[in-house]
Amino acid sequence: MISVIETVGRSALNSSRSFRQTATFTARILLRLFALRTYNSASRTVFINQFYFTAVQILPLFLIVAVIFGSLVNGMAFQAIKDLGLSDYLGRLLMGFVVTEVSPFVTVLLIALRSSSAINAEIAVMKVNHELYTLESFGIDTLDYLFVPRILSGMLTMVFLSSLFALVVLAVGLLVSSVIFGTGVDAYLDTLLRSASVLDMILVLLKSATFGFFITLIPIGQGLNASEDLTSVPVAVLNGMVKVFLAIVIIEVLSSVVRFI
Amino acid sequence: MQQGLGEFIAAHRGRVGLVSLTAPLISNLSVWGNIALVPQYHQNKPEREARAETLGLLGRFGMEQVAERRNAGLTAEERFCTMLLRAAMVANAVLVLDRPFSILTTVRAGHSLADALRKVDDLIAETHIFDYSWETERYGGLDVAAD
Repeated sequence: MISVIETVGRSALNSSRSFRQTATFTARILLRLFALRTYNSASRTVFINQFYFTAVQILPLFLIVAVIFGSLVNGMAFQAIKDLGLSDYLGRLLMGFVVTEVSPFVTVLLIALRSSSAINAEIAVMKVNHELYTLESFGIDTLDYLFVPRILSGMLTMVFLSSLFALVVLAVGLLVSSVIFGTGVDAYLDTLLRSASVLDMILVLLKSATFGFFITLIPIGQGLNASEDLTSVPVAVLNGMVKVFLAIVIIEVLSSVVRFI
Repeated sequence: MQQGLGEFIAAHRGRVGLVSLTAPLISNLSVWGNIALVPQYHQNKPEREARAETLGLLGRFGMEQVAERRNAGLTAEERFCTMLLRAAMVANAVLVLDRPFSILTTVRAGHSLADALRKVDDLIAETHIFDYSWETERYGGLDVAAD
């Protein structure tokens, strides 16, 4: 019985320590995000490279996934709407569900799988190789040079790719709705515009940016937790990816609470 | 020796250009990227300008052709020269060579070191070498004062 209590207590302490570390790191990054001195030629180079790796290199795969996903979701949803005689709700389904919920969620999963794991491994390897010490010895602040540009790039990437995903799915929706309902372009656009809400759009952009912030911040934080031992790299990546997944779920739940309650 | 090195670096913080195995090249940056990092970060020098300057400096060592290579693709001598140039990029640099023969592992290492230091002499304010006393003979070409 005592060992069970000890285990629960240890687990609670570890979770609380981990949460505190993440919260402190978040506060430090947020402060630097708004500090002018963070932005110099070196951090701009890191930002551009990171944006290229995260947002541009993934485009072919991302567009294919968006088209396939858009066809499936739209096909199934539109057919169900037609069968149930709810065609008046087509716009609300597209704008309220596909654009605001599905697009950021699928995008964040793809980006987390591809880039969060890479960032996590990169930082852990830099720690193991003493490259972080190199930066320190040359007076280069790792927050300014390594972390803030990556996090900013993660935020912009998420906003950009979520919007692109939504546009592709809506374009596919036009094709599907013209096949199922015989809707023309004007009628389709009119339906979408009537269902669009500015508040929803702001919320979805904020949600995407928040996703981007945490799916880069957490891997960086976990990468820093690696020791000087090579075997600590996979452990750091594993822990980081689990926490990234938890963060995605928490943000999704919180955004739904804000939107629907 | 390590304690002495640590104290020296702390005393000259902000001016130290460290050449040491404990401060390796950044593996996800090219040779020119490693050298240009210091002026890009500290002087906000635009990337294109920093690259041009770096290529000019690499020319002193006949190393322009390795400018795009990364750490893993360099010979010991190329790696040493890259580290040396990176250290020389620090403004008013106090160059600190920490056991240079652990990086320069070739037989002619002593001559290579003397040659390399001569080529960056105009960029450096002071040079300090930290090494074990039994390595003194290997610095034949250099005027070394042992502490």
